[in-house]
Amino acid sequence: MEKEIERIKNRFYRDCADIKDISGAEEIRIRYLGRKTELNTLFSKIPTLPASQRGSWGRRLNVLKEEIARRLEEKINAISDKESKIDLTFPARRPPKGSIHVLSSVNRKICEIFKNLGFSVVEGDEIADEWHNFESLNIPAEHPSRDVFDTFYLDIPAGSGGKYLLRSHTSTVQGWVMKNVKPPFAVISPGRVYRPDEVDATHSFMFNQIEGFVVDKEINFSHLKGVLLEFAREFYSPDIELRFRPHFFPFTEPSAEVDISCMMCKDKETQAGGKTCSVCKGKGWIEVLGCGMIHPHVFNACGIDPSRYRGFAFGMGIDRIAMLKYSINDIRFFYSNDIRFLNQFPV
Amino acid sequence: MRFNLKFVKEFLNFPLEPSRVAEALTFAGMEVESLIREGDDWIFEAEVTPNRYDWLSIIGVAREIAAVSGKQIQLTYPHLIQKPLLEEREIFIEDVWGCPYYTARSIKGVQICPGGEFKDMLSGCGLNSVNNIVDITNYCMFKWGNPLHAFDEDKLKGNIYIRKAKNKEEFRGIDDKVYSLTPENLVIADEEKIVALAGVMGAKNSEVDEYTKNIFLEGAIFSSVAIRHSRRRAGLDTESSYRFERLVSAKNLEYASQEAADLIKKYGEGDFSGFKSAGRRPQEEGKKIYMNLSSLDEYMGIECSAERAGSILNSLGFEIINKNKGEFEVKSPFWRLDIDNVVDIYEEVGRIFGYNNIPPRIPFTDRTNMRKSFIYGKGKMFEFKNELRRFLSLLSFNEIMTYSLEDKEEMRVLGQEDVIEIINPLRSQENCLRPTLLSGMMKTVKHNLNYNQKGVGFFEIADIYSKAKTGYSEMPALSMGIAGGPEDAFLLKGAIEEILKYLNVGSYYLEEGKIENFDNALTVFVENNPAGFMGKLNEKIKRYFGLKENLYYSQLGIKILAENKKEKKYTPFSLYPLVYQDISIALSKDISFKAIKDIVTGEGKYIRGLEIVDTYRGKDIPSDYNAFTLRIFYQSERKTLTSQEVESFHKQIRNKLDKKKGVILR
Repeated sequence: MEKEIERIKNRFYRDCADIKDISGAEEIRIRYLGRKTELNTLFSKIPTLPASQRGSWGRRLNVLKEEIARRLEEKINAISDKESKIDLTFPARRPPKGSIHVLSSVNRKICEIFKNLGFSVVEGDEIADEWHNFESLNIPAEHPSRDVFDTFYLDIPAGSGGKYLLRSHTSTVQGWVMKNVKPPFAVISPGRVYRPDEVDATHSFMFNQIEGFVVDKEINFSHLKGVLLEFAREFYSPDIELRFRPHFFPFTEPSAEVDISCMMCKDKETQAGGKTCSVCKGKGWIEVLGCGMIHPHVFNACGIDPSRYRGFAFGMGIDRIAMLKYSINDIRFFYSNDIRFLNQFPV
Repeated sequence: MRFNLKFVKEFLNFPLEPSRVAEALTFAGMEVESLIREGDDWIFEAEVTPNRYDWLSIIGVAREIAAVSGKQIQLTYPHLIQKPLLEEREIFIEDVWGCPYYTARSIKGVQICPGGEFKDMLSGCGLNSVNNIVDITNYCMFKWGNPLHAFDEDKLKGNIYIRKAKNKEEFRGIDDKVYSLTPENLVIADEEKIVALAGVMGAKNSEVDEYTKNIFLEGAIFSSVAIRHSRRRAGLDTESSYRFERLVSAKNLEYASQEAADLIKKYGEGDFSGFKSAGRRPQEEGKKIYMNLSSLDEYMGIECSAERAGSILNSLGFEIINKNKGEFEVKSPFWRLDIDNVVDIYEEVGRIFGYNNIPPRIPFTDRTNMRKSFIYGKGKMFEFKNELRRFLSLLSFNEIMTYSLEDKEEMRVLGQEDVIEIINPLRSQENCLRPTLLSGMMKTVKHNLNYNQKGVGFFEIADIYSKAKTGYSEMPALSMGIAGGPEDAFLLKGAIEEILKYLNVGSYYLEEGKIENFDNALTVFVENNPAGFMGKLNEKIKRYFGLKENLYYSQLGIKILAENKKEKKYTPFSLYPLVYQDISIALSKDISFKAIKDIVTGEGKYIRGLEIVDTYRGKDIPSDYNAFTLRIFYQSERKTLTSQEVESFHKQIRNKLDKKKGVILR
């Protein structure tokens, strides 16, 4: 009996070592653990043994059977691991993906923030007349303040609002809304605007702006500050600061330009490196928008009584804001639509 | 404007720290863009907004610094001498609108010598020294903000005329360039010639040179509009025209001219010999404005005491004429012609109070009125477009943004003759408004093909423009494009169908039709109305625009999509197994696939769909046939279909297909 056991054991070890694949393992399993095996023959001999030995031989045979089963399982696992192993160092397959233009997503994000503050999104036409682009906004025909608003004129016969042109700012929606909606209202309006500027890294004859304005009975300058601060902290980061500098715009009084604290060099460590921040030129502040309290002349032109209503307005260039946010150094990337640029901004 | 600290210090007797001055000016509204040390002086470069003409003078800058420092400026006004009368010549203002007021002072027997005395101040303000006389006029211009001009009196012949130039009349400036003028140019002339382009530049023929003995000193008020037109027409922009365009103070003019005459006497050793004026000096009185202090607080969102408001206004030169229980009657200083309305006073108080000291608050604005307006409905289009953007990006298309301005000639090639033109284009490439998004797509595809980017889907959402019976039409559109092989045509078709399904537009179909510039075109119908098209760009256009690959392009109207969009509702789906059977078919090219589709889908309620799973090309297939494997899906809403049932439906379809001419079952 002892010899038989040793022989089966040794032969199994040898056969097991030779197993190459799963079907080979199955063959060995049948040979050692099947119905007609030498092991089973030995089990069948047990009742013929003296009663005192039956227990111990039975245990030894069971130990051997378990050993074989365990070893076989290990072998099978090892083989199947090897057979199913894939080399994940091969390059990935790209799931197809599309993209939304970065200016569209910036537009959407900004409008979203203002919508949460109670603003309604409004879209005005890009074609406008002189009344909407200038007169209603207190920009008289012969005033140096018109210089910054050089404009493309169109060959459409002039209408009651004067000559037709491509709007040079989104402020055109002010007159449109004020003439058609009874206050109160809070409006945010994104869109394309046009100015005859030669194209270079920071100029384009077409660019994007967002205009916002609120008209109600008790609006004041501190509301303008609150709304813009809320926007900046939501859009940039919660620790951003704003700085209001007095400025001049014909359609607001008082007027201000707004700077945001530079998000590039807020980490003073980088400044300590001795390099001047290329974004804020070391000033620590970046100009991002213009704003002010809506001028009474604008209200009068649009048929709103300035003694009953007050309002504020602001406008910002989206291209510039996107350039700052994403460190884009050339405005032309927005309009040349290189796929290597586009798919860096999937949403 | 450029100026130096030393010049400003002439009028301020308290210590000035340059960087603090720069900051104070910036927060008063005159943004200092750069501050540079030059020897023992500091040069400021500041942006002066168009309303603050008074800041285009050193005393204006000094006044502002004094105001924000709570101090006064040191300014001595010269004693005005207007006698004896200058008798040698008359002054005739022929264009009263262009020149309401003109003065002249004559100083005899001057010595011309190099500048010296005022050299530092002038170079601080960015001007070179010429000679003592010219330097004095420039010094007084910078100091008071009023441009002056010194003529060599002996070069003037007879009377002086302020008139419009004649057409093509020539003028040689002190810059030695010849300008051909038009009646848009206001000029100063004597009996024979033009001696100055009024308010812009003097003429060579009458300039002060080393032999000059007698000076005719001009001090005038010219219309800002006249000077603007004139200098634009001449293509000039000078320190003088810059100031006249933004307004100059008539009161300061007298001081500036008097001081220049005094200085010429002193440094040129001449004798004052006469004064003459023509026209009427514009009345320059400060404006009286009532201001309610609680309105100030309400407007700015601050709490400002009467004392504080009063002292701010006083420091800026405003006079409080009357104080009455929370109400001020304020008179603006004569040099502040920009002050016109009570909100201008709010701004003055506000900016010195400090915008950064105003607390931020969030207003609540009721949207009821807005929601009722048609404008609110139009605004929903923004969300709709964003929804489309998101969906198209999910379909692996990439959004582009191309210029709305196009070349008229290119539009003509595309068959678009009646476009809206730009009257004043920068370049011919951008001289009209596009009536289609096609050219932007072609340019994008072409650009990306250069970098071997085939089979990439692009889309754009933008307005297209055309002339209408009255005025214009501006409508949003969606374009999609893929450069590549015929399989991309089916991808594009699939994208269109997916969009229409996603929007749940109701009924839609795509039908073969003719579209200009395209081959293989399909028109897209939504609720039986044309909503756009897709097609393969034809060879002619492809070649004209230099495209090397086929472009599959689609353009849809966004308005019609938005109008037909419907709320989505859940549609129940079958819970029983979906099974399929394949048929290999060779189809004559004379017969469209639609015929097969009609036979299959005509076979009853268990047909769930069909799909092409394989296309085949081989010797055994006639060349005028397309071979493919058609997979037909079967499913019941109520039970599991048995294989016998499916076999029997499938056999019926096979039989019907087999009978169809031009169809070979393989």
